[in-house]
Amino acid sequence: MIRNLYVLYGIIVLGTLAMAEYRGWSLNSVNEVKNVPKSVRDNPGSYRSVYGFYHHYTGGK
Amino acid sequence: MVVSASGPNPPGTPRVKSLNCPGCGAAITLRSFSQAVTVVCDHCHSILDAQDPRLTIVQKFKAAVDEDRRLIPLGTRGTIRGTIYEVVGFQRRTIHVDGIPYSWHEYVLFNPYKGFRYLTEYNGHWNDTSILRSLPAVNDNVNPATVTYLGQTYRLFQTTKAGTSFVLGEFPWQVRVGEAADVSDYISPPRVISSERTGKEITWSMGEYVSGRDIWKAFGLEGNPPEAVGVYENQPSPLSADTTALWLAFVGFLVALVVMFIGFESFAHNEQVFEGFYSFDTKVRGEASFVTDVFQLKGHTSDLELTTTSDVNNNWIYLNYALINEDTGQAYDFRREVSYYHGYDSDGSWTEGSHTDSVAIPSVPPGNYYLRVEPESDFGHGTISYSITAKRDVPQASFFGLALLALLVPAGFITWRSMNFEHLRWAESDYAPASSGDSNGSDRPTTLGNIFGKGSNS
Repeated sequence: MIRNLYVLYGIIVLGTLAMAEYRGWSLNSVNEVKNVPKSVRDNPGSYRSVYGFYHHYTGGK
Repeated sequence: MVVSASGPNPPGTPRVKSLNCPGCGAAITLRSFSQAVTVVCDHCHSILDAQDPRLTIVQKFKAAVDEDRRLIPLGTRGTIRGTIYEVVGFQRRTIHVDGIPYSWHEYVLFNPYKGFRYLTEYNGHWNDTSILRSLPAVNDNVNPATVTYLGQTYRLFQTTKAGTSFVLGEFPWQVRVGEAADVSDYISPPRVISSERTGKEITWSMGEYVSGRDIWKAFGLEGNPPEAVGVYENQPSPLSADTTALWLAFVGFLVALVVMFIGFESFAHNEQVFEGFYSFDTKVRGEASFVTDVFQLKGHTSDLELTTTSDVNNNWIYLNYALINEDTGQAYDFRREVSYYHGYDSDGSWTEGSHTDSVAIPSVPPGNYYLRVEPESDFGHGTISYSITAKRDVPQASFFGLALLALLVPAGFITWRSMNFEHLRWAESDYAPASSGDSNGSDRPTTLGNIFGKGSNS
């Protein structure tokens, strides 16, 4: 019983893995924005990503 | 399973015979006829010689009528292994651990063609037991001792001295309240072989674990059986049979995982679709953002791995990225940082960060794309060179690691549960393996003997 459940679970895991690899899933997150104007190519400064104005921590030991 | 529901009036159904107790005159019901050696009057608690037509009193004991709650009333019939049995006797056996009495209950079952068999119950754990017709082979040369019966080896679990503390009904032996015997249990779940020594006589019996639910079903009892408490000595582990099959399945999945990894590594396009080299002058104020040339992403929806490499030296560069579909205006915003620091202090030389950073942008549909790049860094730290490369359809090894973990965790957890079950079993044993511990002390025992007064063979 448990073995059958585990086999079913394993098949789901491997199936999900295959789907993830084929469809190019990623653990990284990106922010999707729709309808970015074509003028960005001519004037890149007109577009500001949601990640702009980041206050950077200057690392180092 | 060993038990099943009984049918109506099949052949072999026992009949009863009524007599009177010579002590109190109360009616005595003899269900097993001449098979009974002793019968107990449930009014005056006289133990009578059932072989004597006059029912001579052989012992009287004091007890409240309902001193023990009998889960199966005398006279109840049920089917075990396809045979109808009637409950004809009941006794309580008691052991003492650190002066504290612990008791279990035994029910004597009778069928006129099959004879006697027994049910034991302790803390909701039941055993269907019968007397062995041949002797098992005892091996005292190993520690703990073992017995072998019908090719199966049973390991010594416990030895104890058990006394009879209450009796009712009929018994196929000369039962006496207060009588004690040395009992030993040898287990091979779900079975247990028990020996009982009284003087020079040894009785061997074999029990098989039965769930209370099956007992209730077999005897048509109302309500629910008492819930089983703890792990009993011969209780079969609900998981142990599955762990080997589980790990075999795991090995199969592992092989499949390796095959899939090789397959995706071999057949993924892993194609470089863009490469650009840039420099960022940190001394120049003003708009630093720019866009790259358009590059084409082909094939099915897949990931895009973007790698940023920079020659930062005790410095950092931060890049706001936007991957923009030229045709649809769909953009994927993300930020990356490349920083690398190094130095020397009292602990020696140290480094922090890396010259390279990679990110996989998930599920990017095919199309024509360009990158909007906006670099940042501390002002006035000179020029920082960096390169950007983009690869299409790159296998993500991290998913294989996660899949391996996802397959490993349940198998490991179930194995741990199974081992824990065995640990709990053997913690109650006098002969526990070193790794199982040994409560053997003041805690209330989860397992008790499985022996029956005096059986018919010795």
